[in-house]
Amino acid sequence: MSAPAPNGASAGAPQSANDARDPSGFLSEIIGAPVTVKLNSGVVYKGELQSVDGYMNIALEGTREFVDGKMRRSYGDAFVRGNNVTYISADS
Amino acid sequence: MASPEGPGAVTSSVNEPLDLVRLSLNEVVFVKLRGDRELKGRLHAYDSHCNLVLGEVEETIYMVDEEEEGGNGEVRTMKKQSEMLFVRGDSVVLISPQA
Repeated sequence: MSAPAPNGASAGAPQSANDARDPSGFLSEIIGAPVTVKLNSGVVYKGELQSVDGYMNIALEGTREFVDGKMRRSYGDAFVRGNNVTYISADS
Repeated sequence: MASPEGPGAVTSSVNEPLDLVRLSLNEVVFVKLRGDRELKGRLHAYDSHCNLVLGEVEETIYMVDEEEEGGNGEVRTMKKQSEMLFVRGDSVVLISPQA
């Protein structure tokens, strides 16, 4: 990349008032909401999003596990290691 | 990163996902691993890589008899017991406290 800008870091790119356009802003915005988490293995978890960190590690509450669309198991709480995550979707 | 719920929220004990694991120390946990393996055991230690030390562990391995290879698509399970197990974090998929 080019040399650092001499002025402030926020110069240049248009910035909206909230940071929801930034992926981690989206994630912190949907904390507490029911979500669907799909893993690289194809397994899907549905539950309430408790927290997410920078590795995309996830804590879910009231989690149900789906394999090939069929519910397999349920967990009270579940920690999912971030490297396994394909996507996180806020359920409507 | 600021929490939108503030420090007084109901979920304040879980501020980051690993807090869920911290709260399971010395409790029995269920761990899902890569390669259709599951563990159930007492969590003695963990770190940020999800390296785990588990005691009184039961490992369950799921094996499918592939139909193309003359099997019948049946899922077989194999169980192994270990007194103490160190799990390398990169094979961890999910950790859940057992009710």
